[in-house]
Amino acid sequence: MLRDGLLEAVRLLLTGDQDTWSITALTLRVSLTATAVALLLGVPLGTALALGRFPGRRVLHAAANTGMGLPPVVVGLFVTVLLWRSGPLGAFGLLYTPTAMVVAQAVIATPIVAALTAAALQQVDPDFLLQMRALGATRTRALWALLAEARLPLIAAGLAGFGAVVSEVGAAQMVGGNIQGETRVLTTAAVLATGRGQFALAIAFGLVLLTIAFAVNLFVTLAQQRERASTSARSSSA
Amino acid sequence: MSIGCRGLRVAAGGRELLAVDFLEIADGETVAVLGPNGAGKSTLLRALARLEPAATGGEVLLDGEPAPPAQLRAAVAAVLQRPVLQRGSVLDNAAAGLRLRGVRRARARRLARQWLDALGVAHLADRHARTLSGGEAQRVAIARALAVGSRVLLLDEPFTGLDATTRADLIADLRVALDRSTAAVLLVTHDRDEAAALAHRTALLLTGRVRQLGTTADVLDSPADLECARLLGYTTRLPPELTGHDVLLVARPERCRLLSPGEAPAHPAVLVPGTLRRIVPLGGTTRVDVDTAGGPVAVLTTTEVTGAPGDPLCVAVDARNTRECPPRG
Repeated sequence: MLRDGLLEAVRLLLTGDQDTWSITALTLRVSLTATAVALLLGVPLGTALALGRFPGRRVLHAAANTGMGLPPVVVGLFVTVLLWRSGPLGAFGLLYTPTAMVVAQAVIATPIVAALTAAALQQVDPDFLLQMRALGATRTRALWALLAEARLPLIAAGLAGFGAVVSEVGAAQMVGGNIQGETRVLTTAAVLATGRGQFALAIAFGLVLLTIAFAVNLFVTLAQQRERASTSARSSSA
Repeated sequence: MSIGCRGLRVAAGGRELLAVDFLEIADGETVAVLGPNGAGKSTLLRALARLEPAATGGEVLLDGEPAPPAQLRAAVAAVLQRPVLQRGSVLDNAAAGLRLRGVRRARARRLARQWLDALGVAHLADRHARTLSGGEAQRVAIARALAVGSRVLLLDEPFTGLDATTRADLIADLRVALDRSTAAVLLVTHDRDEAAALAHRTALLLTGRVRQLGTTADVLDSPADLECARLLGYTTRLPPELTGHDVLLVARPERCRLLSPGEAPAHPAVLVPGTLRRIVPLGGTTRVDVDTAGGPVAVLTTTEVTGAPGDPLCVAVDARNTRECPPRG
């Protein structure tokens, strides 16, 4: 059954099954948007956690670290309650829309990006900002230099956020509702197909998810190794 | 452009770390701030560059006028104690100061290369900065600051942690580089040899205050008081009751000699009788601790010393090698 499933899955993908590709496109659109929002919020937050001196910083840092393991179902539940027609944000009518899924996934990814950003910046030399300013950089320019210095772990932070949301099913199911052609993404589609016994279809969705995950990790690994290779090439050429 | 300060105060945790009433470094001049660990040297450097918000009072002056932060930022480049380099090639690092100031990449790299050459590390230009030794990294950090062409250069113990040979080479290269530059230079150091090699004038900083300021030769040769004397290596104390002088005399241990009882000194000398406490061989030199009526006296000598604890002997210091050390205040 598994072999048949795999073959059918490959056939579906290669023949350009319309449903499969539109679901994949929506998945990427929702998860990439959510990751972008998480980066916009998480990088400044992580920077503040790493460099700021304000009351409650450590508690917030611990909260962000805890948030890395936030169960998507719990996030889905809270976002659903917030967006429910009679809920506080019900007037916007966002529940069961891709926007609601973006909101829920951004909530999941933001603590991940923030915590990993803080960790990335704390690995840079503690005198880095001071030295940049000692060379005449404004505070803003020094901060950009710091973020550039930590670019690889920051890229990894973004990709970790993306990896977490593209593969989650709980929140997408709850706030999106898995409506065909509207809010159905790869994970919810795979759950549904499995429930209906359409294993080939489910495996096809699984393969696409795996391919996305692999592409993401390949990108990070290649970037890191290119940097290392240039380091060792330069040191051995001297 | 000269840099200076007036009434500069830094306090932290209710304690005053620095109180410098007035200091000015002229164009093309190098001033060393010499002091022991914890004297406030780095605090002074950082307060002058306004790198820390901790300055609680006073003004930083450029050309004698109070300097607004933006003007100060444009005028000053500083090298920290530990070289902090960025990810990337040595050349990109050397160009980083210029890049941070908005200079285009090609021009920044061209200017930076000249300073890498001046600091003797041009051959490392394409290496990754992470692969440098401590001495190489510090050379790159100094080249990076010099490349900026700022009118004020602040150096915070740039030779710390380098081995003796590397340090001597770097001091020589830096001296040549500074001679090429017209910047006002502040060198923070705890080493008087570094001050002697690089600075026109030297300020002695003790517990956050400038205790003595003058030409380097004068300051190193004539300590103003006992604490300055200790800092400058005049650690052998010869109290009035031993020497018959009115004031405390101090001398460098390496300028003291040992005489057998009854032996006459070759030059007019201050003589202090005592007994041998111990002989400590230190490689090329030998340290001899002598108990005198006024307390222990240390002598550093390159001649062979024999004797047993308790043996009587006499410490002789040529009169020209002693310094009068009036009590402070």
